[in-house]
Formats: sequence, C-alpha cells, structure tokens
Amino acid sequence: MASLFKRVASKALLSVVAVGLTVSLAAGPAAAQDYPSRVITMIVPFAAGGPTDIIARIVSEHMARTLKQTVVVENVVGAGGTTGSTRAARATNDGYTIVMGHMGTHAASVALYPNLAYKPDADFEPIGLAAGTPILIVAKKDFPAKDLKEFVAYVKANTDKMNAAHAGVGSVSFTTCLLLNSVMQVKPIAVPFNGTGPALNALLGGQVDYMCDQIVNLVPHIQGGTIKAYAIGTAERNPALPNVPTSTEAGLPEFQASAWNALFAPKGTPKPIVDKLSAALDQALDDETVRKRLLDLGSDIPGKDRRGSQALATLVKSEIAKWTPIIKANVTN
Amino acid sequence: MSDQTSTGAGKRFLGVRNPRDFWGGLVLLVVAVVALWATKDLSGMQGFAFGPGTAPRLFSVLLAICGAGIALIGLFTDGPDIEPYAYRGPALVVAAILIFALIVRPVGLVPASYLAFLIAIAGSREAKVVESLIAAAAMTAFCVALFYYGLGLPFQLWPRF
Amino acid sequence: MHDLIANLALGFSVAAQPQNLFFCLIGALVGTLVGVLPGIGTVATVAMLLTITFGLSPTSALIMLAGIYYGAQYGGSTTSVLVNIPGEAGSVVTCLDGHQMARQGRAGAALSIAAIGSFFAGTVSTVLVAALGAPLTSLALLFGPAEYFSLMVLGLIFAVVLARGSVLKAIAVILLGLLLSMVGSDLETGAGRMTFDWAELSDGIGFANVAMGLFGFAEIIRNLEMSDESREILNTKVTGLMPTRQDLIDSAPAIARGTILGSILGILPGGGAIVASFAAYTVEKRIAKDPSRFGRGAIEGVAAPESANNAAAQTSFIPLLTLGIPPNAVMALMVGAMTIQGIVPGPQVMTKQPELFWGMIASMWVGNLMLVIINLPLVGLWVSLLRVPYRLLFPSIVVFCCIGIYSVNNSPSDVIIAAVFGLIGYWMVKHDFEPAPMLLGFVLGPLMEENLRRAMLIARGDPTVFITRPISAGLIAVATVLLVLALLPTIRKRRDEVFVEEG
Repeated sequence: MASLFKRVASKALLSVVAVGLTVSLAAGPAAAQDYPSRVITMIVPFAAGGPTDIIARIVSEHMARTLKQTVVVENVVGAGGTTGSTRAARATNDGYTIVMGHMGTHAASVALYPNLAYKPDADFEPIGLAAGTPILIVAKKDFPAKDLKEFVAYVKANTDKMNAAHAGVGSVSFTTCLLLNSVMQVKPIAVPFNGTGPALNALLGGQVDYMCDQIVNLVPHIQGGTIKAYAIGTAERNPALPNVPTSTEAGLPEFQASAWNALFAPKGTPKPIVDKLSAALDQALDDETVRKRLLDLGSDIPGKDRRGSQALATLVKSEIAKWTPIIKANVTN
Repeated sequence: MSDQTSTGAGKRFLGVRNPRDFWGGLVLLVVAVVALWATKDLSGMQGFAFGPGTAPRLFSVLLAICGAGIALIGLFTDGPDIEPYAYRGPALVVAAILIFALIVRPVGLVPASYLAFLIAIAGSREAKVVESLIAAAAMTAFCVALFYYGLGLPFQLWPRF
Repeated sequence: MHDLIANLALGFSVAAQPQNLFFCLIGALVGTLVGVLPGIGTVATVAMLLTITFGLSPTSALIMLAGIYYGAQYGGSTTSVLVNIPGEAGSVVTCLDGHQMARQGRAGAALSIAAIGSFFAGTVSTVLVAALGAPLTSLALLFGPAEYFSLMVLGLIFAVVLARGSVLKAIAVILLGLLLSMVGSDLETGAGRMTFDWAELSDGIGFANVAMGLFGFAEIIRNLEMSDESREILNTKVTGLMPTRQDLIDSAPAIARGTILGSILGILPGGGAIVASFAAYTVEKRIAKDPSRFGRGAIEGVAAPESANNAAAQTSFIPLLTLGIPPNAVMALMVGAMTIQGIVPGPQVMTKQPELFWGMIASMWVGNLMLVIINLPLVGLWVSLLRVPYRLLFPSIVVFCCIGIYSVNNSPSDVIIAAVFGLIGYWMVKHDFEPAPMLLGFVLGPLMEENLRRAMLIARGDPTVFITRPISAGLIAVATVLLVLALLPTIRKRRDEVFVEEG
C-alpha cells in the first residue's frame, strides 16, 4: 500500500514538475513591443492614503486601462520617501517597476540626505509630471494674527515661543516650512510628526503654532474655522478656498510652493517603454473623470507644455537647484 | 520540573547560585553593550533636542543596568538550573525556515515549501517517511492554492531556467 | 435621544441595502481570512483593495474596508489561541491565556468567548460612537505629545504588571523590546540606527516577523522538546466547543470592563487602541482574587482583552469620522478611499453626507453580527485543526508562516529575521524571560520615543511638562501606583514565585 502511494505521489509530482517547466519556459524574456505583458508595480514611497498616494492611485487606475494591464500601487514607506525611491532606482529596468516620486524624493532629498543611494536627475528615466498640490500656510485657531503680514510680524517677534509642525524630515511640509521660515528669516523650533495626520491633529489641538501643508486634507478644517489659513503658495487662488489669498497678494511673494508628483522609471528602461508610459500618463491627465477627481482634491494639473519626459527632466534639475541652498542653510547632517 | 531549586550549588559554574538568571542577565548586558557600540556614531542631544542616538543609548544603558542587576541577583540568590537546551528540534526547525528563505527566490515556492516541510518534520522524533512525503506534498499544494491562486500573490512557483 | 434614534434608523436603512450587506459580508470575510493568515497584514490588504473601491459607491467602499479592519482584529485572535501567533499587536495578550486554554483542550471555549466578547463590545461601542462621537472628539484633541508619552509609559507599566515572574526581568525585556524597535531609520533625521549596514534593516524590523518568531516559532521549538505523552494532551482532550455556564459567569464582568477600557482608549489616535487590550488584561489580573491563574488559561484573560480590542477598533473610527484624522495606517487608507471618491473626510461629513456617516456606523454593528455568524461555526473547524497530529501540524505551521512572512515584502530576509526571533524566543523561555512584555515594548517603542522627542521640543527641554499638564500627570500617577503595586508582592514574597510552571 505504502509503495503504491509512493509511486502515485512521485508520478504526480513528476508531472507537476513537467507542467511547471513548460509554463516557465514558455514565458520567456519580455520584449519592448509586448510591453506590458504582466503586472506593473507603481511604487509610492509614502503611506497609502496620503496626497501622493491618492494622486498615484487616481492616475494609475486610468493608465492601467490604457496599457491594458494591471498597475499595482505598492507603498514603500521610510526615510522621507527615499527608501521607496531607492528600491525603484535599483529595480530591474524593464518598465515593470516605476515610482511616483515627488518634490521631496526627487529634489529636496539631494541636500537632505548626504548618503542618498540615488541621484534623482541621473538614476531615473523621467516619465512625466502627474499633478501638484498647492501649499498652504496654516496656524492654530487662536493664533493672534489677522492676515499674513501680521502673522509674519508675530512669528518674528515671538520666534522663541513658536513651534512649527512638520510631517517628518523630507516631507513636503518640512521643506516648504523651511522655505517659509527662510523667507521670514526666522528659525523656530520644528516639531516633527509621523505624517501629516498627527501634525494636523496637534495643530487642531493647539499643541503647535503653525505649519505648511498640502491643501488636500486642510480644506474642511479651514472652512470649519478650526484652523486658520493665511496664504496659498501658488500664482492663483484655489477654487476650493476662494477666500485664502495667494502669497503674492498677501505680501510674501517669495513663498512659492507646490508639491509636484511625477512618475519615474529606473535608469536604462528602454525608450519605447518610457514613451508608452508617458503617453498613458498624458491620456490619464486628459481624461474628464481623472481631472475632476484631481481638481476636487485642489490639485494643480500640468498643462501640455509641462508634461512628458523632457519637461520633467528640466523640472527635476531646477527643483534641485531651488531647494539645495535652502536646506543646506537650515539642516546640518 | 517543579523542584529545580534543590539542585546542589556545588556542581555549578564558579559557584553561581541561580545560573538561569545569571546567564540570562549577562546576555542582556552583552546585548546592551553591543547596542551602545552600534550607536556610538549617532549624534546625541543637541541642546534640548534629541538626536537619533539619544533614545537608543538611553535604553541601552538602562538595559545594561537591568541585565547586570539580574546577573548579580542570580549570583547571590538560589534559583533553578538552566533547563537543558534541545538541539534536534530547534536546529531542524530553524534550518527549515532558513532554507526556505534562501531558496524561495531561486527555485520558487513549490520546491521551497516542500523542502522546508520535510526538514521541519525531521525535527520531530515521530516523523514517518511516507506520511511525511505525502503530507509535505499536500501542504505545498494547499499553500499554492491559497496564496498563489486564492490570494493572487505574485509568487514564482517553479525554478526559472 | 430622538435624533440618535432617527440617525441610527437612517444608518440601518443604508446598511441594510443588499449591496451594502454584501460588501459588509465580503469585508468581514476577507478580514477574518487576513487575520487568520500569518503575515498578510490588514494594511497591505486594504491597500491592495483600495483601487477596487473606485468602482463602488463611497458608502459600500467604506463599509467593506471597515469590515476588513475589524474582521482582521477578530481573525488575529484566532491564531493567537490556536497556534500562539498574534496576528495584530492587539492580540498579543490573547496568546497568554488563550493558547494556554487551547493546550488544556479548551480552544473552543476560548474562541467562542472571544467572539461573544467582541460582539458585545462591538455593540456597545457602536452605540457609543453614534451617541457620543462628536463630543468625544475633544478628548482626542486634549492629547498632545506629553500626554501620549505618558500614555506609552503607562502602557509599558501594564506590560510589567501582566508579566508573571520577576519585575526586574520584565523591565529588562521591555527595554530589549524598546531597543529592538529602534533598529532602522530615525524618523527625524533618516540616520540608520543599529542597522549594521544591512540594507534590509533600514526599514526597521517588522512586527509580524518578531511576533511570529518570538511566539510561533519559539512555541514550536519548545513543543518539540516535550515527550510524546505530555503533548498528547494537545491532540486528544478537546472538550466542548462552547463555553460552560461557569465560563460565561466568569467572563461577563471581564467583558464589560474590557469594553469600557477599550472604548475610551480607542478614541486616542496615537496608539490608544494598542494599549487597550493589555490595559484590559492588566486590570483583570490586578483585581482577580487569584492573579496566579493568569497566564495559565484564565478565561477572563481572553474575554477582557478581546472585548477591549474590538471596542477600541470601533471607537478608533471617532477621530476619523469627526476630524478626518486617521489614528492608524488602516484608517489612513480609508481616508484615502474617501478622498479618491471625492469626499474630503472631516467634521462636515456628518452633516453633508448623513447617509454615509450613519450608514457606516450602522454597518459596524451589522459587520460585528456577521463576524459572530461567520466565526462561531468556524470555531469547530479551527478546533478540529488541533486534532491533526502535532508531528504533521507543526511543519505545516512552519511552512505557512514562512510563506506568510515572505509574502509581505517578498523579502527572504524577513523570514530569516523571524527565524532569529524564534531562537531568541527559545532562549528567553530557557532563561524565564517572557516574550509578551518584550513584544509590547517593541510595539510601543517608536510611539514613545517620537512623543518624548516632540514633548521635549515643545517644552524646550523642560521635563516637568509630564507632571505639570494634568492629563499627563494623571497617567504618570496611575503608572507609578501600578508599578509600586507590582513591586510590593515581589519584595514581600519573591520566594513564592520561584516555581513558575511551564507547560
């Protein structure tokens, strides 16, 4: 009986092995013209549910339809997004791993992390700009300033007492707050939080005084009067918050900040594949539903001239040049 | 097992009266020292702001104190002997896990699970050869069905040539 | 009161719509599965399903995601009881007595009481969320970094109290857990800490790897030492599936206390829910007539933390629903799901989208009911798993866990880390160190350090902030009292504790 079992079992095993062999041999190496023949992984170097993640999901869902292939969003969190970006930089450059980088991971990181394992402008093939989120200057509800001018004056006069919150070194709120503080010429205590949620919670509870953050989750609190917004760092006012003046109107024109998010592939990804991805992204940004979803978030959708690989390559270079001196002047590491 | 305290103190290493705690505390002390060494290059307090090294060093020092305390108490109060360590079970179970970790990428899920099952089962003295081979195949099939087909996890099942 | 009833009626009319019932069921099922499977975490599953929710109505999407969340909390306790592997941080303490009960052939009773306790807790806390959600929000806002730090200190003191043996050894393993939690990149500077230049360690050590090694693998290694007949107990004497009358009488007050504690702590977004289950366990152990039963299969030790766990899972929706602030990673995903659907989470959801708000609250209760309906029959199935001869069961658990851990990040090093923790767990047993306090230290470590650093920054380095702020001072006072109470018996009768029985 036992030997019969053994024979049947080993026969079954052999045939399973044989089937497996043929399957794996038939798969073969993927070529650019068949791309994409399997699931594409889009690494988002931030927590799921955050602004970059939401933009990635909205865009990837449409791209998947264009590419006729599933696009899986994988959140690889850590070290201000550089953990996920490093993984993407080191991934096989076959177009099946791409990354939704942003202002922090692909510009500010150069100055923030001396041992950064990748060069944002050299170790990636830029695919294209996806969408940006405007930055707001917000303060706790009983902050004693009516407008941005008073805010600046108050922060300058009381720098010692100020606590500026940010969502962790390398986050958008961190770098944009550095920008704000450097144009105000103050250096208050910067209190780090683990993400924008906890930082916002502390601002609502009055534990900290002010912060800079992306518009996404702030709108209801500003409308509800539980926090104060002093200015938005874009050229025009945002339809979601028509009463919030731009930084130029409010008298701080140097504060220009929008958190851009863009897709990158690892260096050496074949050009036809990058072009395919770039075209899919372009189509997504033209789709009505996608546009509506992004605009509802208060996002800024790039016009045709700011899309594509070339425009992104230029943006990355100029952003590195913009942020490096600001960060170097404020962070020692 | 309840009467371990009565073991004669004379047989013990260097007159340690509670070897279980003594050696346990000593190992914790060593871990704390290693952690201190590993964090020596991290910056500490800058004014009142914590650096990355502050908390790990703080906890290392506290752990060193506790470890030393446990070891010292173990030196001077009576306590049970260390239960003898088994070798076969731990060695084979850990070997199974390590083998799985090392070969799952190159050879795929099916051979790795099958082999890991067989190595692990050898850790038990009651293992029977035929039953083990069949059980390993059944478990492998079950895992493939569940994780690969059921949950759609992107595993590679077989070796790639 | 009238409003509450009207609101709940609206909620139930939404939750009872066929498609919402369906997605609630799917969520509860997937959640149970996720909780039972090793390694596959709730966060990963919800992240995977997030894109799918595009096609659903916002209410259905959130009902499903919420179902996964509390379903997983539920399923996590099943593995704790059966194979001593905590699926989530909240079910670590369930291992202590739950698995002991399973070893005594009372797995059925343990699982059933966990289900019943969770259902009761879920019902009470759903009503609580509905009735007091908005006012309770202010509690979350009262907690700043100093308060959270004090809460974590209190949490660690709970971990000391729930240990069975020497207080000094419990503190030592908690410190070890804290130290291990610091491996990886520093949150503030990104500097690698104790990573020994091993790239895989730069993200830190995952909870699942530690839990599976320290509890699951170590337990297996330990069981292999036992002689055949002593292990036979594991296999043969599986007594009734349902709890006895006495069990229910013993558990009822524990369930009530666990529900209260869990409901309160769950509201705090910075880790309150994690503290809930072992706060409940500690309370039961402290007020028990015979605390020595704990850790040896006391049914209150399962009932209280499971109720607290589930109550906290429900009330942790309060900050999400009323502030739009996610208290944990799963909730952050739900915020994402809402935002993708064009709903900006925040205080205005309740007034602008009452169907969504109340529908979701009502669906929590429906989901809890479904969980009981799904899980009570499954108890029989789970228990019958224990009838598989151990010589075949343990290699299956090993393989299952290996695949589970590997699947989280497709990372072989995660599996190796779990193996190392298996050996550490075995070593700890040999030297009479308890793994539960260490795991709790490991879970609370990052929260504690972050909040300490924040509190010190805001207070400009003044450590008195922890005792000058009233809530913080209160928490520290409770922690001190508990620590003194824990130390007293050790000083008085340390001799009694020498024969700590193992297996």
